[in-house]
Amino acid sequence: MSKMIEIKGLSKKFGKTEVLKDLNGTVEKGQVICVIGPSGGGKSTFLRCLNLLEQPTSGQVTFEDSDLTALNEGQLNQLREKMGMVFQSFNLFSNMTVIENVKLAPMKVKSMSSDDAQTLALKLLDQVGLKEKADVYPASLSGGQQQRVAIARALAMNPDVMLFDEPTSALDPEMVGEVLKVMQDLANEGMTMVVVTHEMGFAKNVADQVWFMDGGVFAEKGTPTEIFDHPQNERTQDFLAKILEA
Amino acid sequence: MRKVILWLSLVLGLIFTGLAVAQPTQAATVDNSLQEVKDKGTLVMGTSPDYPPYEFLVNRGGKDRVVGMDVDIAKKIAKDLHVKLVIKQMSFDSLLVALETHKVDMVISGMSPTPARKKSVDFSKIYYRGGQSIVVNKTDAKLYKDKNSFANKTVGAQTGSIQYDLGKKQIKNSTVKGLDKITDLILALKSNKVQGVIMEEPTAQAYVENDKGLAMVNGKFHLGDGENNTAIGFRKGSTSLVNEVNKSVDQITSQNLTKQYLADAGSYMKVNTKNTSMWHYAGYFGKGVEYTLIITVISVFFGILLGTLFALMRLAHNPLVHSVGVAYIEFVRGTPLMIQVMFVYFGIGLFINIPALTAGIIAVSLNSAAYVAEIIRGGINSVPIGQTEAARSLGLSKNQTFSSVVFPQALKNIWPALGNEFVSLIKESSIVSIIGVTDLIYQLKAVQTATYKGVLPIVVAMILYFIMTFSLSKVLNHFERRMRHE
Repeated sequence: MSKMIEIKGLSKKFGKTEVLKDLNGTVEKGQVICVIGPSGGGKSTFLRCLNLLEQPTSGQVTFEDSDLTALNEGQLNQLREKMGMVFQSFNLFSNMTVIENVKLAPMKVKSMSSDDAQTLALKLLDQVGLKEKADVYPASLSGGQQQRVAIARALAMNPDVMLFDEPTSALDPEMVGEVLKVMQDLANEGMTMVVVTHEMGFAKNVADQVWFMDGGVFAEKGTPTEIFDHPQNERTQDFLAKILEA
Repeated sequence: MRKVILWLSLVLGLIFTGLAVAQPTQAATVDNSLQEVKDKGTLVMGTSPDYPPYEFLVNRGGKDRVVGMDVDIAKKIAKDLHVKLVIKQMSFDSLLVALETHKVDMVISGMSPTPARKKSVDFSKIYYRGGQSIVVNKTDAKLYKDKNSFANKTVGAQTGSIQYDLGKKQIKNSTVKGLDKITDLILALKSNKVQGVIMEEPTAQAYVENDKGLAMVNGKFHLGDGENNTAIGFRKGSTSLVNEVNKSVDQITSQNLTKQYLADAGSYMKVNTKNTSMWHYAGYFGKGVEYTLIITVISVFFGILLGTLFALMRLAHNPLVHSVGVAYIEFVRGTPLMIQVMFVYFGIGLFINIPALTAGIIAVSLNSAAYVAEIIRGGINSVPIGQTEAARSLGLSKNQTFSSVVFPQALKNIWPALGNEFVSLIKESSIVSIIGVTDLIYQLKAVQTATYKGVLPIVVAMILYFIMTFSLSKVLNHFERRMRHE
């Protein structure tokens, strides 16, 4: 397997608060990494540092052999195309229809023709089961539907890796399943994924690696079996105990 | 506190730089005023055409033009100089500034050569000697004999005029109300805001003849040198032009031409007042609406363009760009539109000769840009940061993110506020009438002068303004509904 993302000595401070402390890690091609841990532990900030939505205070993020922290604006835009991101709050463009949301980036960034982008978008919307919603505005969709469109929108750039930032946290419980299903299908197709999540079931079944994060550090890393069945770290044990109680 | 001082010094610095640059470089060491006029082949006369029979507007075939004794005099002078006469209309207050800033070559507007004015203006010989009268309501005519009857009363006079000073100095305990236009003064008289209006005798005569409700009283003011006389004003140092014009004035005096000119003016006034129905002046109002719309539409366009630019400057991270944006917005919002209009026309006019309409549009656009900038800034800030993050994560550049995602959403959010700005622009653009742009307000005054009717033209203009603003609101509402994506 080849390295997709390599994180070296990554730190992030907001003012004097150190949110991430000297993180290291490697994401291999085709791997699904689930990042779990208590709220406020730095999971989202870590994910946002991977495509530099958040500028790391120090350390390196290497993506496909390029050190992102050393790139200029234009080069960074080119690499971001290859890193799809899905947000907790969907962030669909409210001024565009569903299909326009999906078509925008291929047309603007890759200069794809409107017709080609239309074909591509319809294929992706079909893949997430929302072909018939192509011409409505996002505001008329349910949360689960919006998140599936957001996934289709990210896939339209044909990314090498997908970053998910708590994709199901803002959803009503009955809609979590439809989004996880789409993500699971993606994983089965071999997509490299980094998923920040509270869905322990998903992490257990889909992840190749589970990284447990607390207090700005990876307290424990391992396979789902190692983390969920034989947690070594006290904080991991504590966290999982609380989750299971609930 | 330090920040405040920094801002103040930045703004003041900008102004003083502007002023230093604006110092007129035309210190007339060599007098070539006559040669200049002959070279360009035109003689530009500045006048405030609300002063019959000296100068006033008549409506001929739907077009208004300036006529009166002063115009006849100007025609004769132009003919004697073998050049073409161009007439520029503006408010009386603006005339001397226009002279100083080369907007006009001479001022003929029933102006008296007072010692104070002589300090900044060269005058020709006197072409007309008249007394000062006071116009009163006919019903009160018996109460007043001369100026002394107005002790402790309120009288009206044109702002910046001789009559204003006479009222202040020679009527005991009087209050003098200054208005820009004679028509407004007559209106004030009729609504009993003032008890009398001081004006030159021929003008008083014209008003009284055309309005049965008015009467005139000989003021019996003590008139010093120049105060009951009228002469032509020129830029300081234009001796050669003045000498040449004096030859024409000599002819006018020796042949007593003013008598004939006044008779001509009187005949125009009869034509003018024959038909005082507002329909007859539809052309005036139509032209006024046209200009008001032209100014508004162009100003809205540039207002949005520049407003977006200044909003982006203010949001910029570069401290210099940011500061310039803030300074512009705060300075423009902190000064009255009226002063900005005058500054653009007269101030910038020192370097480039811009027509009044263009100057008006520039000033209103620049003013609107500052307000639009703040609205747009608010709109941009109201778009959730997640929208930007989503666009950037897809590989869109900053500019693409702004133009495809942030700006369209900001526009939707700010549409009602922007709409209000445009509606108020229709109304506020009326300020440009002070520099002689023939917008609706200007035409309103013209109709008032032409018909000797005060209130009716105001009502017509009011209704026209309302129709414009109301239609615009409807159009804006339509687009607002279309932008709702739910």
